[in-house]
Amino acid sequence: MRKLPDADPGDPDDRSATHYLGWLVRRYRVTVFAAIAMAVLWMLCQAFVPAVIGRAIDASTRHDRHDLLTWCLVLFVVGAAQAYTGVSRHRFAVVNFLSAMFVTVQVTVRQAARLGSALPRRLDTGEVVAIGTADIRAIGGALDITARGTGSLVAVVMVTVILLTTSVPLGLVVVLGVPVLMAVVGLLIKPLHHRQQDSREQQGLLTGRAADLVGGLRVLRGVGGEAMMAERYRVESQSLRAAGVRTARVESLLEAAQVLLPGVFLVLVTWLGAHFALAGQITVGQLVSFYAYAAFLVAPLRQLTEALDKLTRGHVASRRVVTMLNAETDLPDPQSPVPPAHLAGDLADPESGVVVRPGEITAIVSAQPAEAALIADRLGRYAEGGTVGGRPLGDFAVATVRGRILVADNDAHLFSGQLRSDLDPYGSGLLPAALHTAAATDIVEALPDGLDSEVAERGRSFSGGQQQRLRLARALVADPDTLILVEPTSAVDAHTEARIAERLITARAGRTTVLCTSSPLVLDRTDRVCFVEDGRIVATGSHHGLLDTEPRYARTVLREDQP
Amino acid sequence: MTGLLPVADNTQVRRYVVDLFRRYPRALGGAVTLHIAAAIAGLVGPRLLGELVESLQHGGGAAVIDRLGLLIAGFVLLQSVLTRFAHLASARLGEGVLARLREEFVERVLALPLSTVERAGSGDLLTRTTRDVDALSRCVRLAVPETMIALITIVLVIGALAVVTPLLALPLLVAVPIIVCGTRWYLRRAPKAYLEQNSRYSAVTDGLAETVDGARTVDALRRRRERVERTDHDLHRTWLAERYTLFLRTVWFPVVEVGYVLPVVATLLVGGLLYLGGTVTLGQLTAAVVYVQLLIDPVDRLLSWLDELQVGMASLARLLGVAEGRSDNPEPAAEVPTPVGARIEVRGVRFAYAPGREVLHGIDLTLEPGERLAVVGPSGAGKSTLGRLLAGVYQPTAGTITVGGVPLGDLPLDRLRTEVALVSQEHHVFIGTVWDNVAMVRPGADEAEVCSALAAVHALDWALALPDGLATTVGSGGHQLSAAQAQQIALARLVLADPHTLVLDEATSLIDPRAARDLERSLAAVLRGRTVVAIAHRLFSAHDADRVAVVEDGRITELGSHDELVAANGPYASLWRSWHGERTPQDTDEPLADTDAAGARR
Repeated sequence: MRKLPDADPGDPDDRSATHYLGWLVRRYRVTVFAAIAMAVLWMLCQAFVPAVIGRAIDASTRHDRHDLLTWCLVLFVVGAAQAYTGVSRHRFAVVNFLSAMFVTVQVTVRQAARLGSALPRRLDTGEVVAIGTADIRAIGGALDITARGTGSLVAVVMVTVILLTTSVPLGLVVVLGVPVLMAVVGLLIKPLHHRQQDSREQQGLLTGRAADLVGGLRVLRGVGGEAMMAERYRVESQSLRAAGVRTARVESLLEAAQVLLPGVFLVLVTWLGAHFALAGQITVGQLVSFYAYAAFLVAPLRQLTEALDKLTRGHVASRRVVTMLNAETDLPDPQSPVPPAHLAGDLADPESGVVVRPGEITAIVSAQPAEAALIADRLGRYAEGGTVGGRPLGDFAVATVRGRILVADNDAHLFSGQLRSDLDPYGSGLLPAALHTAAATDIVEALPDGLDSEVAERGRSFSGGQQQRLRLARALVADPDTLILVEPTSAVDAHTEARIAERLITARAGRTTVLCTSSPLVLDRTDRVCFVEDGRIVATGSHHGLLDTEPRYARTVLREDQP
Repeated sequence: MTGLLPVADNTQVRRYVVDLFRRYPRALGGAVTLHIAAAIAGLVGPRLLGELVESLQHGGGAAVIDRLGLLIAGFVLLQSVLTRFAHLASARLGEGVLARLREEFVERVLALPLSTVERAGSGDLLTRTTRDVDALSRCVRLAVPETMIALITIVLVIGALAVVTPLLALPLLVAVPIIVCGTRWYLRRAPKAYLEQNSRYSAVTDGLAETVDGARTVDALRRRRERVERTDHDLHRTWLAERYTLFLRTVWFPVVEVGYVLPVVATLLVGGLLYLGGTVTLGQLTAAVVYVQLLIDPVDRLLSWLDELQVGMASLARLLGVAEGRSDNPEPAAEVPTPVGARIEVRGVRFAYAPGREVLHGIDLTLEPGERLAVVGPSGAGKSTLGRLLAGVYQPTAGTITVGGVPLGDLPLDRLRTEVALVSQEHHVFIGTVWDNVAMVRPGADEAEVCSALAAVHALDWALALPDGLATTVGSGGHQLSAAQAQQIALARLVLADPHTLVLDEATSLIDPRAARDLERSLAAVLRGRTVVAIAHRLFSAHDADRVAVVEDGRITELGSHDELVAANGPYASLWRSWHGERTPQDTDEPLADTDAAGARR
């Protein structure tokens, strides 16, 4: 049996949804065809059973004990074969389902990682996450149904041939009648689908509301509002219930039609057949088999409809995956990137006039912290505009820049899993020192399993200040040539901030470091401060110098928002 | 993921299901009766068909054929009409049960203690709220009625067989041990396996969401490979879980399939031999074989839906499990004592999140009504924990916290909220109207109250200018509010809730420094006239407070007004000075710092 997931998902064919599905089928052709083969055999076994039973009854009427025993044995063998092919088909189909699903997750994650910072600008993140829940199942389902779909097709063709060779007129009635019947049922299904769609949308909204309540649970626990929220939910839930009953009204008509139409058709076939038999055109035995086959056809035809439906859904889901796979970064590598060795000299942002000298600890202060963050983005090549040694950063490959310059901001996520593997994935040995610098040693010590403790998603089990210190430690472990920290201490208390500032300056002594901050505790220790207003640098100097000479600067760093 | 929420055990689930259906006796009875009638009408058809064949054999004329044909058609019609109403009746019942289930679940979630949510992470709860509720819906809409119909059909077919020829019902028994043992083996293992599988899928979804939401971080830290490996690892674990459930089905499926064919073989063989011996007629033999085959479909449906029922039950267990987490809001005593005044007293309070890991070691504190207390101290010293205890989110492990002489823990939640509210760093805007988002804290608030709450935080003007005014839908999927507007909504809620005491946990984070000054005015409006405990990490809010408590290592080490503490020359004082750009107290930046401090004092 295949081991999943694949070590390398390979290069998906993302030209179109159809190509993507085709790629999946080609990729897993062995199990796909095995599943199809088993499904065909399985159908054949099923089709055999009525014939064998007929033979056994015939043997009884002939009082042939030996034949009776033989046919009973054959029936058992056919039944066992049906069981074997059935479960084999299921196993292969599940493997196909999972393979398609897993590989889609893999290519999605790889693409998300490839797009990196460009992802939220290029794609709706919610839709990408949705690929991981609903779409992968639809795509897996499309691959899964190929087996039963093909098996049903074979069965339908086979029965058609059998019936037509027995009696052409009656055969035609069955062969044409059954698809017409299915089509009529299909037409009836249309309005039902609309209602079901509405119901599902309403269900989706209700689920969204429940998820929203979960997201705001902390707020609710703090200030209240549960009663009203529960009431709002109840009202929507009741309206979904009403919609569900309305859908059921149509659905029940369809159920009734599914009893009535095939039933009436079977009566018609039997009645016609009986008259044919009366006229001597067919035998009574053939009449019975006509009846049996007309009844038998309904199941494979239903599976064919199901197959169409699942393939359509899979196609729609694949379209979303293909859209995602086709997204390109808006920070592309240049045609011929400048070699990494040239990434040296002053790092500068001509737009604002900020210049970062190698080996210095530079601060960027702005009354509008968002401005400083924008400058950091340009210096780190998250936006175009930064230069290094007079050369545009855009001339270098993104990977080169990321390897040398690290921009660590407060939107950065802590990743779930072991704390150690998030902070120091390569075991660099820098972690204890980094934790000390970030004043985060106590956080780790308080954890039940220390660095081996599990981090909850987004690091939510940590307070805002703890998260910030852990993020800082993580950035220090990465130990980049140039470290750009955006508001690294905005969420910690003053005691800790003072401590971090002291240690950070020591730890990064002689290495290019940029701090976007307005905290005097930190600024006090930097080599040089760039004061920015309205996106342009207005003054440069030491913290104390600027405090004396630049009243706007003094206002910015000493004023604090407060209750 | 750490500390997943609990899952209910089988007994609890079963009891809940039985109770649920007991609440709808008439609807259940009606649906079952209709299904029985429909199934009987369905069984008449094949029997009449046999008669038709027999009449052909015995030379019946065209008239007999026509009459029987019409009769069969009549029963088909009857069956379809009955099916319609049976289906509708069970759908009505199902939708009712489902609505009740999800409403009860949401009520449970809303009653969940904050501590539980924080421990379990919102991912698990979110999966339960979305995937499990959906899975259960599928189960109730499809699996439950199908199972019911299958059971009814099985009982009726066996009955019919026993009527035609009781002797030929006996060969059926060969299947019973096979199917029962196989299914029991399967069902004993399946629920746990499917639960495990579900949680593995949660991990995959969470991991993907993390990669997508944290795409910039992945980029910055060059964690591409780690994310890919993590995904592959999660997928591999999912595969192991899937492989196990596949193994279970690989054993179970063939066993029951053999269980289907064996009774047919046995009936044929035994019936054939009995016919040869002259004990049964050919008609009885044929009928018995037809009926035994008729059984296969409903039994198979029943068993296949058992699978889906398992999934539904597993989801139900996860939904019910959410209720198990509730502990820290015990049902209050019958008579609720009324607090006298708004003084909050903390006496000898100790607190531990887990036994043996005490984070607060004996806190004594009195909060006078209208007082502003700033709590400062290093991160991890226990400030937030103290705030939560003051807000009644946690109960102290030792010591007491009283408001107006009544222990916080004795107050029912909605009463507690009129005393103390906890304002965390989050400012979630709920899906709903602006009105709902404000009025939620006090259902039944009238227009004047809501408007004046919005006006107090300077939010009324923009709120009225929204496309539908206060009836504009905001939150996820609705009208997008700016961060500052969202914060103002959060503040307006507080004005309306009107607790006499506010605990602001990292309240400066609530005010985004990027937002304009009017937000500060909004906050000032909220704080006016209330007791405020500001858990601050910035010194300026401390400077504005009446008193400052310095919390270090789970204890209050300094307590007094700003000026007193500065004069005391302790740790607070040294920090205050360094904030003002003084390397040492001897430094000469004093005039500038003082001027500004005076300005900040306002």
